[in-house]
Amino acid sequence: MPSLIDESAGKTYWRSLEHRADSPEFRAFVEREFPGIVDQLNFHTSRRNFMKVMGASLALAGAAGCRWPREEIVPLARRPENRIPGEAAYYATTIERDGVGLGAVVTSYEGRPIKIEGSPEHSYSLGASDGLMQAEILTMYDPDRSGLPRHRGKASSWEEFRAALSGAHGRVAVLTTPTCVEALGGADRLKSVDLYFWAPADGNADNGLRDAGGNAVRPLLNFRNAKVIAAFDSDFLGAHPAAIRHARDFAANRGPEGMSRLYAIEGHYSLTGANADHRYAERPSAVATRLAQLAHALAEKGAALPAGLKSSEGAAQPAYMEKMADDLFHAGSHALVVVGPAQPPAAHAIAAAINKALGAEGETVSYIASPLAKGKSISDLAKRLDAGEVETLLIIGSNPAYDAPADLKLAEGIKKAKHTFHVGLFADETAQVCEWHAPLAHALETWAVYRAWDGRLCVSQPLIAPLFNGVTAAEAISIATGTAEATAYKIARDVLGSAAKLGSGDAFEGAWRKAVHDGVVREAAPAADVALDSTNWGALLGGLKEQKSGFELVFPPDSKVYDGRYANNGWLQELPDPLTKITWDNAALISPADARELKVGRDDLVTIEHAGAKITAPVYVMPGQARGTVSVALGYGRTFVGPVGAGVGVNVYPLRTSTALGFGVGANVTRASGGHELVTTQDHQAIDTAVGRAEAAHRVEELLVETPVAAFLAGKKGAEHATEADEHSENGGDHGGAEHHVALQLFAEHEYDGHAWAMAIDLTKCNGCSACVIACQAENNIPVVGKGEVKRGREMQWLRIDRYFKGQPEDADVAIRFQPLPCMHCENAPCEQVCPVAATVHDAEGLNVMVYNRCVGTRYCLNNCPYKVRRFNWFYNHHGPRHPRNHGVGPTYASQIQLTDLEKMANNPAVTVRSRGVMEKCTFCVQRINHAKILAKNEAVQHGTAYEIPDGEITTACAQACPAEAIVFGDMNDHESRVYGQFHGGRAYSLLDHHLNTKPRTRYLKKLTNPKDGAGEHKPAHA
Amino acid sequence: MASIVGEVDNTMQDPRRRAPLVTGQHDAASITRSVASIAEIPVDQTPLGWYVGFGISATITAILGFAVFWLLFNGVGVWGVNNPAGWGFAIINFVFWVGIGHAGTLISAILFLFRQHWRTAINRFAEAMTIFAVICAGLFPGIHIGRVWLAFYLFPIPNQMAMWPNFRSPLLWDVFAVGTYFTVSLLFWYVGLIPDLATLRDRATNKWRKLIYGALAMGWTGSMRHWHRYERAYLILAALATPLVLSVHSVVSFDFAIAQLPGWHTTIFPPYFVAGAIFSGFGMVVTLAVPARQWCGLKHIITLRHLENMNKVILATGSMVGYAYAMEFFIAWYSGNSYEQFAFINRAMGPYAWAYWTMVSCNVISPQLFWFKAIRTSVPAMFIVSIFVNIGMWFERFVIVITSLTQDFLPSSWDYYTPTAFDWLTLLGSFGLFFTLFLLFCRFLPMVAIAEVKAIMPGAHGAHGHGHGDEHAEHAPAMEAAR
Repeated sequence: MPSLIDESAGKTYWRSLEHRADSPEFRAFVEREFPGIVDQLNFHTSRRNFMKVMGASLALAGAAGCRWPREEIVPLARRPENRIPGEAAYYATTIERDGVGLGAVVTSYEGRPIKIEGSPEHSYSLGASDGLMQAEILTMYDPDRSGLPRHRGKASSWEEFRAALSGAHGRVAVLTTPTCVEALGGADRLKSVDLYFWAPADGNADNGLRDAGGNAVRPLLNFRNAKVIAAFDSDFLGAHPAAIRHARDFAANRGPEGMSRLYAIEGHYSLTGANADHRYAERPSAVATRLAQLAHALAEKGAALPAGLKSSEGAAQPAYMEKMADDLFHAGSHALVVVGPAQPPAAHAIAAAINKALGAEGETVSYIASPLAKGKSISDLAKRLDAGEVETLLIIGSNPAYDAPADLKLAEGIKKAKHTFHVGLFADETAQVCEWHAPLAHALETWAVYRAWDGRLCVSQPLIAPLFNGVTAAEAISIATGTAEATAYKIARDVLGSAAKLGSGDAFEGAWRKAVHDGVVREAAPAADVALDSTNWGALLGGLKEQKSGFELVFPPDSKVYDGRYANNGWLQELPDPLTKITWDNAALISPADARELKVGRDDLVTIEHAGAKITAPVYVMPGQARGTVSVALGYGRTFVGPVGAGVGVNVYPLRTSTALGFGVGANVTRASGGHELVTTQDHQAIDTAVGRAEAAHRVEELLVETPVAAFLAGKKGAEHATEADEHSENGGDHGGAEHHVALQLFAEHEYDGHAWAMAIDLTKCNGCSACVIACQAENNIPVVGKGEVKRGREMQWLRIDRYFKGQPEDADVAIRFQPLPCMHCENAPCEQVCPVAATVHDAEGLNVMVYNRCVGTRYCLNNCPYKVRRFNWFYNHHGPRHPRNHGVGPTYASQIQLTDLEKMANNPAVTVRSRGVMEKCTFCVQRINHAKILAKNEAVQHGTAYEIPDGEITTACAQACPAEAIVFGDMNDHESRVYGQFHGGRAYSLLDHHLNTKPRTRYLKKLTNPKDGAGEHKPAHA
Repeated sequence: MASIVGEVDNTMQDPRRRAPLVTGQHDAASITRSVASIAEIPVDQTPLGWYVGFGISATITAILGFAVFWLLFNGVGVWGVNNPAGWGFAIINFVFWVGIGHAGTLISAILFLFRQHWRTAINRFAEAMTIFAVICAGLFPGIHIGRVWLAFYLFPIPNQMAMWPNFRSPLLWDVFAVGTYFTVSLLFWYVGLIPDLATLRDRATNKWRKLIYGALAMGWTGSMRHWHRYERAYLILAALATPLVLSVHSVVSFDFAIAQLPGWHTTIFPPYFVAGAIFSGFGMVVTLAVPARQWCGLKHIITLRHLENMNKVILATGSMVGYAYAMEFFIAWYSGNSYEQFAFINRAMGPYAWAYWTMVSCNVISPQLFWFKAIRTSVPAMFIVSIFVNIGMWFERFVIVITSLTQDFLPSSWDYYTPTAFDWLTLLGSFGLFFTLFLLFCRFLPMVAIAEVKAIMPGAHGAHGHGHGDEHAEHAPAMEAAR
């Protein structure tokens, strides 16, 4: 360490002795913490730079796009047209995940994007979104993103990086996530590179059919037409690139008007399994055999299956097969058999053959040619790397050093290439093994052209100048191919112009502007043929081996961090997994019977061995998990990641080989010593006693009312004849006629002349995906509190999704039910009465409002809320002491108020950021209500028309995000509104109302199920 | 220090004669001497024991100071409170300390109105205990709120926003109830102290004592007119304080009873809480009286009979509390409300069963030992039982607050409550504050109401200044036998 009194250090002001001494350690520290300022060592300069970037984005965002592709900075001397300071602007753009463009509409305030919604124009978003998409906003503002190019880990510059990459020798091998030609800058650019694709959680079944001997086609599933669906190890509602569209279509067929039936055959309990009418737990290796048996059973009934399939005979056929086959056969063209990507090509081929034989092709499933660019697999790359054939390797947006199949040993292979370049959002594991690293621009910062699931072209436009000076994938390839002067904007224009044939000159300009405005260009790609005629069925079927013993290891992509790329996203890490409710961790999910045999319980550690490697993971005992199956979600245990994702969970990639990407057989699970506490938001261990479990099981029946659809329809018919008196009760007569009584109440009822807001949540449609939770978090500036606080029971999400198991834990057919729980906005709100300072009160439109300024934090309202939907700020939560970003920074108090400018930018300016000691809760997105009211009032005054807010004009963040349209928000005083209709549709019920007379404004629509032989099986709980 | 060593058993139950309330050969002067001399020990002769006790208490108080500082600096999150359990140790401690206070008021006000003359020996320090307990209690609602700096929102202060507090909230009633209680208790105590403060002033030999006690005595001369006013004032304050014994803890119980949680929302709460408060209060008085009479040489004034009487009250109120526990279970079953039923079954058999059975053992079983006279009159035995009562009553509040909150309506929101180190330090610290104040009181103020004790001495005559008005004629013949 240099001497502290060395004058040449020349620092008059210093922050620490290390700073004063300017030691290499300190330089390394600063470089790590604040890349790019290592030579300035002065925070104010950085701030100025930051302001410059902001000013630039502000200035440029107002024009036709959001950012003109000009490089100079112009002050806003005059207010651009259509630009009102403080008013949000909305721009269509596209967010891509593993080659699938999801249409988005982004809300931007003053050039600052703050919220992502699905684009209604986009056929695979339909205005809805998923949790990952919502959380992209937080990733974009992540201060841990890579900020500057590095050479061998040391700070470098863009000039040096460009020089090195453009001067690369030989053909450049490019490894990236699967994507279309357009996203990579067009076919011309790709001519001079070798393209390899890798995505660990690739939900595309594109390759399944190709590998079975067919064409590389992508099945497009149409659940709107499907009456009977059999999902074989397919999580089409959860981990599927088109899950949003699937959820919408599937939900459209779930209601009293029409009800499809879903069979799920799977080992790992998936979101789709949780929504099935019949779920059968099978080992993953048995699934394809079951499918072959199904084909056989269908053939026997007369389905025109290929001859090779008819002869298939397997082991003893399970009892349910006949029932399912019968159901599918009778559904005919409305049947649909779906197979998940983890299954072997044979399974995909059989499913395609069944769908064709039943006449479903064209009806419930259609095919398009795969819209992805032609890239080779990562195994091919590994082979070439090992052979020393790759001189220059460029990795874009992919993290193979962490997530590549273990047997390929890619981290070592990369080092064999002479020159390696990594372009990524983060300086991650792969950046560590590459010679060069440069920041990638985030989807919201760039111009790009992608393709949607159905092959449509989508345009991505920047909402802000790249915060970390990143480049796009196409720009990176341009540098590598020597066309570096091309900017992302120009590339996007060129590739869209040629791909969509937009013409030239003015015609092009008009078409381009329209494409940018809409975010989407044209209709889907033309249908393609599966071409399975030449399939060798005998060989395919012969390859299926059903394992009977030993453990099978399933690698589901995580519902939150996906394949690990969202590991540094606090919203997602803190989101409870829809099925296990685990936060900040992954776990080894095993069945209760296996747990009993292994003598392990929740939080005990087990050692899992597979393919010559082993890991140790905490156990979560998952009812409904197939026996002999252990699932460990991908994406955890990252080593080079920001502080949020550091040390979270277990990395399962070392057990995953290129031949067992979906699941691995022959795994060995043994008990290990010690334990690791899994933190869940429900079913806390310590409170879990026999008395409580028995009571909970009994209580759930009345909290989450469900009934088979046949019984419901029969009951409804009866009720219509019996009573019509209920109609008058504003409370809906929800408790089923007979026991209807008027409860006495102490205080006068509120009356509403204007609006009377209400929300209906359809438990039949809700599939538990949790997009609403993240949407709410993004909209309402809800803080992340960290694992320690969640463990204490202090999670802050305003909206939670309660998950209940139905049936005995060891039953094979244990079912899962979901119940989203926002604030009920009770008419007789228990919270309002007990607040001593009147900080929570009823407003004139029925909302139970929270006055943050007035709240002193007695928490009496929280105690008295029977739904426990209130959330208290135990600390300065926006950078609470247990937030991972505060770990190891110092004493708890010192870091409470440290929130970087970047982190602050992600906040919604329309919503107060709550301070310490204040209660908060769901507001029904009151800021959206008031925004719409102000607009409507202005409109009425300006045009002299009547003040009116049409139904659907206002929607809450949760309802807007919901892919299944399970949440409906509206005005009860408007008798034409959807919510009014739902309240009076015979299915609405209020939670706990008959006990407490709380009169909630949020009501549930009974969960309907459609079991095959379940009509009238048991009486509905409340009829 | 003038005192009579050795214990006289005055606990006989002979209806033919009254038991003496002051034992030994004492006259007015020796009573004055024995009480006043404790407060008059010169500073340099302060017994080491006091220093040790005060040192420990003051240290613990300093810990409280640190715990509160840490709390205010960081936020309520330093405690173990969480999402279902919005209230934890702070409210438990609050109710516990308010309950402790009740014995003092009962002794000084209700027993005064009912002419229970044995109260005179213990009323002064029981009242002091009330004041200190209410100070400890008052600390908790203040610091447990999220934004302490806005606590004034709880008071009906006219303001530019024309915002009143919410008069429907039991917490607001609490503010008034506890505020009134503290004010009246303090006044009552102070008024009762005036004649004795004058005694100390008159006996003072140094300037500072003269000055301070003189100021506090407010010019008391012992004239007939002073005594007359004093008696009236005391009577009025006793009449004012009497309903407070019942109302304050009723209002505190409303914090729970008005809320709708299963296990809280019951009509039995007000009487049950009052009985529990008196129970815990007497437990604490015994806990304090036993060492105080021992170390301060007041055995002739706080006699075994006094202690036995208090033990009888403990037995009676302990049984009432036990009855209330049983009745809660009965009503839960009888109501047919499954939520209510679960709340109680869960108390006895759920995750907090250990707390419930601690409570039952301490509060219901241990006082039943007082049916035996041998235990009732055994000083070590009663001391131990009184400690159990203190523990049991703290746990009663723990059971009420925590079991109901942690497992309420929706099974999805159930969660365990685990107190943190700062919860424990704050609880401990509140005892430190209590004993610090109590030791200061013992050291500098007359621990026994000198003037009142003189009136009930076996040798007291009608000529003493502090009579009870109309009662005089009636009781004059029996005066020599002591009442």
